[in-house]
Parts: sequence; C-alpha cells; structure tokens
Amino acid sequence: MTTSQPVFANLLPLFVAIPLVASAVTALIANRHVQRLLLLGIPLASSVGGAALVGLHAERPVLVTQMGGFVPGIAIPFVSDTLAAVMLTVTGLTTAIVLTFALRTGEDRLRFFTPLVLMLVAGVNGALLTADAFNLFVFVEVMLLPSYALVAMTGTWRRMAAGRVFLVVNLVTSSIFLIGLAVLYAGAGTVNLAALAGRGSDPRVAFGAALVLLALVIKAGAVPVHGWLPRAYPATSATVMALFAGLHSKVALVAIYRIHSLVFGESRVLGGVILALIVASMIIGAWSSFGENTIRRVVSFQMVSGVGHALIGVALSTLAAWSAGLIYTVHSILTLGVLVLAAGAVEKTYGTGHLVRLADLLRREKALAWIVGLALLSIMGLPPSSGFWGKIALVLASAQESPPLAALLIGSIVAASIISLLAMQRLWHEVFWGPKMTLYRPPSNTGRVETDDKPVPLPDHVCIKPLDLAPAGALLALSLVFFVAAGPLWEIADRAAVGLVDVAPYVTAVIGS
Amino acid sequence: MILSLTIGVLVAGGTYLLLQRSLVRIAFGVGLLSHAVNLFLLASGVTAYRGEPLADRMDPAAAADPLPQAFVLTAIVITLAVTVFLLALAVVGRNDDSWRIPETGEEHDR
Repeated sequence: MTTSQPVFANLLPLFVAIPLVASAVTALIANRHVQRLLLLGIPLASSVGGAALVGLHAERPVLVTQMGGFVPGIAIPFVSDTLAAVMLTVTGLTTAIVLTFALRTGEDRLRFFTPLVLMLVAGVNGALLTADAFNLFVFVEVMLLPSYALVAMTGTWRRMAAGRVFLVVNLVTSSIFLIGLAVLYAGAGTVNLAALAGRGSDPRVAFGAALVLLALVIKAGAVPVHGWLPRAYPATSATVMALFAGLHSKVALVAIYRIHSLVFGESRVLGGVILALIVASMIIGAWSSFGENTIRRVVSFQMVSGVGHALIGVALSTLAAWSAGLIYTVHSILTLGVLVLAAGAVEKTYGTGHLVRLADLLRREKALAWIVGLALLSIMGLPPSSGFWGKIALVLASAQESPPLAALLIGSIVAASIISLLAMQRLWHEVFWGPKMTLYRPPSNTGRVETDDKPVPLPDHVCIKPLDLAPAGALLALSLVFFVAAGPLWEIADRAAVGLVDVAPYVTAVIGS
Repeated sequence: MILSLTIGVLVAGGTYLLLQRSLVRIAFGVGLLSHAVNLFLLASGVTAYRGEPLADRMDPAAAADPLPQAFVLTAIVITLAVTVFLLALAVVGRNDDSWRIPETGEEHDR
C-alpha cells in the first residue's frame, strides 16, 4: 500500500503542462506583451513552485503523482523530492534572469523564440520530475528539440556548423540512451526508476543502467566525450549559451545522480570509470581553457571542468559527496551564467568577444570589471561567492575517503583550481588590461550586416549600458547571497543528499511496499 | 538470429553514413541507426510472443509485450521530427563538399 499522498501532489504535472500550453499560446498569439509576460513569468512561476516544494519537503520528503490513475509501478510517476525541487528553483530563476538579457538583445522578437524557450522549460521541468527512465528520455528530447532550433536561429555564422555537431552528437547519444533502455527493460522488466532501485548487482541491469549513464555523461559533456560542447555552445548567442549552460548539462547531471543513486546505491561498481572521467574532466577542462581565443569559449571549457567537479558526488556516493556535488552544480549554474552574460554584454557593445581585440576594459567599464572579477574568483573557488563553498564542500567530502583516493581527488581539485587560476588570469589580462582599445564594431540590433562591418575607431563615450549588465549582476548577486547564506542552503543540500543515500522513502512513495 | 543480424547490418551502415561529410548522408545514417535501435527495443520485448496485446481478446500467454511497442512508437515520432530538421539544415547549411561559408547575410568575423 502506498503512503497516502496529499491532493496537491497531483499538481506536479503542471510544471510541464503550463509551460507547454504557454508555448502553444505564444506560438499563436504574436502580441509582444503577452509573449514577454509569459517568457519571463513562466520560468519565474516554475521557480516559485520549486521553492514552495523545497519548503514542503522539509515535512514530507517525497511527493508523488501517478499519471492517469494507473496502478503504481505501471503508471508513469511524477516525483518531487528535495533534489528535484532545488533544481526546479535554481533553473527556473536562472532561466528568468537569463531571458531578461534576451529582451535587451532583442532576441525575444525573433519569431518562435518565446515558444521554443517555453518548450525547453517544459522539457527541463519534466526531466527533473519524472521517475521513469523512458519518460526521462522523452523529456530530454523535448528539451533538445527546441534547442536545435535555438542554435540554428541565434548566434554567429559558425552556428550552422556547430548546430550540425550539436544535432548529430545528440542524435547518436539518444540512440545510445535507447539501447540502454532496451537492455534495462530486457534485464529488469521495467524502466520505472523506483522499481530498479538496488538492482545494480544484477549484471544485466547494471549494463543497461551503465549505457543510460554513458548517454547522460555525453549530454553533460564530461571528458573524453566533451568535444561537442565547447564547439557548439560559443557559436550560439550569449543568451542561448547561458540558457544551455544552466539547463542542459545540469539536467543530465541530476539524471545521473538520480539513476546512479537508485540503481547502484552505495556500491561503487562504476567508481573507477567515473573517477577517471572526473580527473580527466577537471584537469583537461581547466587546461583547455588556456588555448581559447574568445571569452565564451574559455567559459565553455570551464563548463567541462565543472561537470568533472559535480560528478564527484556520483563517484563517492556518500552523503557529504552528494551534498557537495549539488552545491557545486548550483554554484556552477550561477557563476557560468554570470560570465556568459557578461561576455554577451561585451559582445553587444563592442561587437566582439575576441581576447585579442578586447583590451583595457578595466578603465572603461568599472561595473563589468567588478562583475567579471568576482565571477572569476568564484570559478577558481575563492571567496566571496558560491564557488568558495562549492570547492570547500567537495574537498571536505573527498577528505572522508581512504587516503589514496582522497589524495587523488583533492590533488586534482587543487591542480584544476590552480590551472583555472592561470587561465583566468590570462582572460583578465587580455580583456581588462593592456594598451588602450582603439577599434570596435558598432552593434547592429539584428545581428545582420548593415554597414560594411569594418572595425571603426572607438569613441570614448561608448560603454556598456547598465541594463545590459543587470542580468549578469543579478546572477552574481545570487552567487554572493549563496556565500553569506551558505548555512541554511547547505542544510537543504544535505536534505537532498539524504534522499539520494537512503532511497527507501522515494521507492516506497513511488511503487509502494 | 535474423533480428540480431539485421540490427548489426543497420548499425554498421548507419555508422558508416554518419561518418560522411554530407549532411544528407548523415540524415540517412541517423535513419538506419534509429531503425536498428527500434528493432533492438522490440527485441527486448521477446519477439517470440506476437499476439495483439488487447485485454480480454487475447490469451495473455501469447500476447506481445505492449511496452516496447509503445517505446518504439515514441522513438519513431522523435526520429521523424529530428530527421526533418536535419534535412532542413542540409538545405540551408553550407555546401557539403566544399569549404564555402554559407551566405546568411551576416558578418563572418566576430
């Protein structure tokens, strides 16, 4: 017998339904005010709903609704626990803030931008809430289909080639995902995640789950399957890149957390492989950000490095590690968003994000320098922002392990931080210091050619408009609040981690007994 | 045996086509690969049982497992959508066999 669920648990599918309906509405109604209202309102509402769920989960750790009223175990369940609720809150809020930048760049006026973004939000929310592996696949596809279109319609001319890479890699990955699901179904007779709990000792189930995890690791962009990410993301516009940075790889990460914790529990069957991925991602991601020549490409490799950090939770599977991984994931969403949006503001005003063409911005742009400076400190793991607690949590979690493992992990974290420090110093040096900047490309609102687009002399009065920097500033403010309010937030992360270590309440709530 | 051989041939062909430069060929490769995956999914429902999975009409012992069929149906729909998008990209994107940059009317050096 299932534990009785409160009636409002049946509202969980609204997290998917409302954005989808809003997407259809905005596709039909071209009124700009309606579009803007829904574009910003829906992610914000989703975030508020997520925050309410975080509060509710203090009393009742798992909320379940079985779609269509089928018997538990047969129905497709929507499940919310602290992990899902935290991610709903963070992704919703980040999406809303990032989209205010879309209003500044005028991308919201692109045809079908609003419907596509809302569809993306529906896919993200669904992927976070579902407890069925096939349903997870469907929601990941719902998330990716509008992304293909967003890549194709925004950004530089490189987007066409990058969009192909993005599309083909994700298609092949989806095939791997499906093959994994087939093996899982053949081995276990079910793809309900709760029904798969603790069955990782069966090699057939373990093989299927490992294939699904492989597909998710590719989608998250860990080394050595990261190659598509730093090519595809910087080719899109800053807004879309910030959206993807906050949503795609993080949804994949949370799905990895969910599946690994349920299927494998605390056993470390895949530990060696994941450990290799972690060390490679952290070091190679940080190191590769040296070689790049635009701000957003540097940031994209830091994204790869961040995936390595967040996977530490999976490799160790302890309470402290899950909690640290979640803290780092949230930090990574906020900080990378700040850097991408700040880069977007620079590109909008100066017409380039190229490290060579930018110089001396410290003198011209005080606010930008503060925002980027603090975000860079955050990426390296220095106070005063979320990055500090992210790195501290990971080091503390690693320190609980046996000495060789702890040494390996902490050593890699420190090495990756130092390499990032050097790479970020290069970024700072190239963009903010140096000789006076003399040439720039005046912005064109549409991104299309209006003049012959030769660099022109840079007048003194040109500077980034404060409102263009506001979205980046808002995300940075969240990151700073995270630093101050780390205590209560850490408790929430611990609560989410308890749900990953002790999966019994989740399983009982979803399939009963 | 026939099923596994078919899957093998489809995967081999799909992989070969995916490695081509032309996006049209890649689209065909994706088609072959997704067919292979669909057959693989169907195989997970044990193909020996082939009766229609209709409650009250069919002996459950002979009925096929409906779940893999539902999976395949969903996968087919998604593949269809993506294939159309791939073909659209193949039309608007760059010329497959050259390094020519597509003329989208935008500046090319940012």
